[in-house]
Amino acid sequence: MPNSSQANDVARYAAEVRAALSSLPDAERESLLEDLESHLAEVASESDQSLEDRLGKPAAYAAELRSAYGVASEARNAPPKKRYRDRAWGLVSAVLATQAYSEVRAFLPELRAGWWVLRAYLLVLVLAFMFRDGLNLRPVPNPFTSSGLLQILATVLAIVVSARLGRRGMPVSRGWRGAAVAANVGIALVALPVLVSMGTGSDYYGYYAAGSSDPNLTQAANYSSFTNIYPYSRDGQPLRDVLLYDQDGKPIVAADSGLVTNVPIGADGLPIQNAYPLTQSDPNGAPVVAPRVALPPWPSSQPSPSPAISPTPTPTR
Amino acid sequence: MAMNGNPIDTSQLLKGVLELAVLAVLADHDSYGYDVLRRLRESGLDAVGDASVYGTLRRLYQAGVLKSYVVPSDEGPHRKYYGLNDRGRSALDQSTKTWGSFTSALDHLLNGRSTANAK
Repeated sequence: MPNSSQANDVARYAAEVRAALSSLPDAERESLLEDLESHLAEVASESDQSLEDRLGKPAAYAAELRSAYGVASEARNAPPKKRYRDRAWGLVSAVLATQAYSEVRAFLPELRAGWWVLRAYLLVLVLAFMFRDGLNLRPVPNPFTSSGLLQILATVLAIVVSARLGRRGMPVSRGWRGAAVAANVGIALVALPVLVSMGTGSDYYGYYAAGSSDPNLTQAANYSSFTNIYPYSRDGQPLRDVLLYDQDGKPIVAADSGLVTNVPIGADGLPIQNAYPLTQSDPNGAPVVAPRVALPPWPSSQPSPSPAISPTPTPTR
Repeated sequence: MAMNGNPIDTSQLLKGVLELAVLAVLADHDSYGYDVLRRLRESGLDAVGDASVYGTLRRLYQAGVLKSYVVPSDEGPHRKYYGLNDRGRSALDQSTKTWGSFTSALDHLLNGRSTANAK
């Protein structure tokens, strides 16, 4: 006969095993543990040693029991939700197991250096976007403006720093590693809208003129971005030195085109920036030729400008 | 042939064949959990764990290859006996054949290797 201390030992051990298996579905657990107590009592009656000394920790016993009972039976009773998740995971592992994936995977480390360069470029691009109100960015900055030159130098510097960081490898500490991953992902995410906006500019070449922060000047960027204006008279004659002002009376200044612009200096020594057309030449010194324009055909019989639209009453005299 | 450095994990091997071993023990005569464990150990499988045997018995019973009945005992707890039913016997026959072809294939492999090493 088992003595009472053995019975206590059995009850306590069995309770701990049951607790360790509490994650199993109820029916499953009961069918597995149906005669656990009588089995343990059998084991206990063979010896005076405690069950834990003979069978190990209850949790380990439960784990062994579960593994011997089989995972398949556990999956059969699992809720369908879990099975969908398993199936999705199965699909993912199937993709991961394909030859194509392993080839791409093997190739990926070679792309790292490319990312080091790209992230540096994107970082400077994002900074330029922020400091210039994001208008009229160019994929390659104009090296003949101070801001463009600055952007190029900053990009080169950033590439050097980025490559050094990349070659050093991932930080050892977990916190820094997380920060590094977050920074990389952040650059990629922030750069995306900047890249998209870059492509939608109406004028590829137009962007903010460097140094034209004078609030009294109307920046071309505030209009659609133009770099020069070619005024013509009504009869098609090109005009020279036409001074343009906007509705607020501010001079209209063209955006920086990367061309060399000869701005006339007024008698007061100040540049006259809104006299069109601007006299421009490309960096090699070749003068910029005025574009061919298609002048609108005026109604020849009407000497006065657009009488059809403006119903100004003709004074009867 | 001595295994150096990385001996075969006996518990891993047991996991695969425990089901067959339990069926074989019960084919001899009906038995209860602790007795099955003792007979497995006596036949040389001394690494087998109590929980593994108990869990395997319950799994085989759930799979419908075992019959089960309780035998009252005067000098201890009631014992749950397990024995092979018809499905259990045919499962044992099947598994015995599978095991036979498996072991002969592995024997062939291992013997081929050891003679190759000897040359």
